[in-house]
Amino acid sequence: MNVAELSQIAVNALLLSGILALVALGFSLVWGIMNIVNLAHGAFIVLGAYLTFYLHEAAGIDPFLSIPICMVVMFALGFAVQRALINQVIRAPILATFLLTFGLEILLVNLVNYFCKGDTRSVTTAYTGAGITLGYVRIPYIRLAALLIALALVAALAWFLRSTRAGRAIRATGMDIDAARLTGVNVPAVYALTYGIGAALAGAAGSLLSVMVPFDPNLGGAYTERSFVISVLGGLGAIGNVVLGALLYAFVDVFVGARLPQLSEAVTFVVLVLALVY
Amino acid sequence: MLLAVALALPRFQNPYQLLTFTRFLLLAAMAQGWNFIGGYAGFAAFGNVAFFGIGAYATGLAMLSAWHVPFFPALAFGSLVAAVTAALVGALVLRLKGHYFAIATLGVAEALREIADSWDDLTNGSTGLDLPIREPGAFFYYTALALVVAGLVVTRLLAPSKMGLAWMAIREDQDAARTLGIHATPYKVAAFALSAVFAALAGGVTAYQNIHVTPTDFFKLQYTLEMIIACIIGGAGTVLGPVLGAAVYQVLSTYAWSRFIELHPTVLGLVIIFFVIFAPRGLMQAFGATWRMAKGERRFRWTDLVANVRVNRVT
Repeated sequence: MNVAELSQIAVNALLLSGILALVALGFSLVWGIMNIVNLAHGAFIVLGAYLTFYLHEAAGIDPFLSIPICMVVMFALGFAVQRALINQVIRAPILATFLLTFGLEILLVNLVNYFCKGDTRSVTTAYTGAGITLGYVRIPYIRLAALLIALALVAALAWFLRSTRAGRAIRATGMDIDAARLTGVNVPAVYALTYGIGAALAGAAGSLLSVMVPFDPNLGGAYTERSFVISVLGGLGAIGNVVLGALLYAFVDVFVGARLPQLSEAVTFVVLVLALVY
Repeated sequence: MLLAVALALPRFQNPYQLLTFTRFLLLAAMAQGWNFIGGYAGFAAFGNVAFFGIGAYATGLAMLSAWHVPFFPALAFGSLVAAVTAALVGALVLRLKGHYFAIATLGVAEALREIADSWDDLTNGSTGLDLPIREPGAFFYYTALALVVAGLVVTRLLAPSKMGLAWMAIREDQDAARTLGIHATPYKVAAFALSAVFAALAGGVTAYQNIHVTPTDFFKLQYTLEMIIACIIGGAGTVLGPVLGAAVYQVLSTYAWSRFIELHPTVLGLVIIFFVIFAPRGLMQAFGATWRMAKGERRFRWTDLVANVRVNRVT
């Protein structure tokens, strides 16, 4: 591999890591605060992608502008789902929430499949192919924008968790649920809020993905798995760790992908096992 | 639970019904296998379709190989391969707990699917293997039936035995079990390997029945899900639970297929959600509770129906 290939791969990895960080962050937030492995995360990503697609088709809304809309819708959906369903089994043994979110994922993805048909779609705009070329490396504008937006959202989340009252309530609940309750935090509301935020971030990622790659209803599953791996790699605590984890994972994924594209899931798994066992 | 189960042998129904029954039996067998690791030992494995696929491929390859191994020995070979794989993977993965274990096994299944897809020399890649042709019909039904009966016998024998009790101890509290001198690892690995054997046997039978073996069809996530749901519906950690759950699930599934062919997985999802929220211990527990009420030991209260929710929700 020569320098040109290597640098392109490196840039691709960097651009990819933004999206991965965004996706993994929502997942890891829900896991860290509520101890729920949200297998339905992928479903929210898919929903976000389709929503963006339909907004673009029906109303001509630019996909980047539809990100806030997606986020709000997904937040509402996530909030409702948590309050109505997941909250009922939250103290049960871990398998319960796992299965529940699994069931939810199947349900949602299948509904999307049914209403939207399983064809692969993508959102193309006037600027889809454009990019700049620096030396050996080509940087598509869309991916660059996606990276910047993802980083902006990550920063916003960090700010939210640190500086707002609600954010602090979330962190408190994550640290010690009883102490939080004692100081007046409304735990079910906090849980629903957290889940909603996770869903909103997933929706945003879905929106971004809709312009980046061709997608179908099954897009989500791979991202859920990757989120899991990244969360494990980075650790559930701090946002920075998750971002680093995303970066690391992105590099491994892209490098291997350049050589052995069919084995990407196997790679995910190997990384996971290595991370877990050590 | 000294229940003698009366087996209704098949009056010859039409081929479609026979196929459905066979599917039910194979699912029951797989569910029984899962029951060992997920129900008794408490380690929810989400990747058992991996062993189903291994069994299918191993059986198929044995039958297609230069020795032209006949079906039953090939089946045995398949289960052996699966058991060994389970032991090796298990040694690595069983030290993880809860979610981690579940996702790691999920990863194994996915990884195996991809490997089967790309290892063209061995598995003929995505085109798949073609096995010798055999008339579908009663042969498969009886084989599957034998499998389920074997499963029942094995479960019945192991549950109250030292191994079964060890499993339950590990499930309740692994560390406490360890302090009592129970070496968790060999028991866990045994449970895992046992579940692999059943899944592989089911896989081999399905492979032969289907004639064609492909990675996408034989490493389907849905099969793992079905195994687990069957156990949840019927009652994990009981002898009859998996079979009962498999029966209920098959009925629901067939009904859903005939009425809502496209929304079939949606129904699946709804069923999971319903059972997880309201009846996570399955029907066996519900029956047990009903029996106790009938005997007069407890009175029925409407709140019993939502008891699970009240315990587990956060307020």
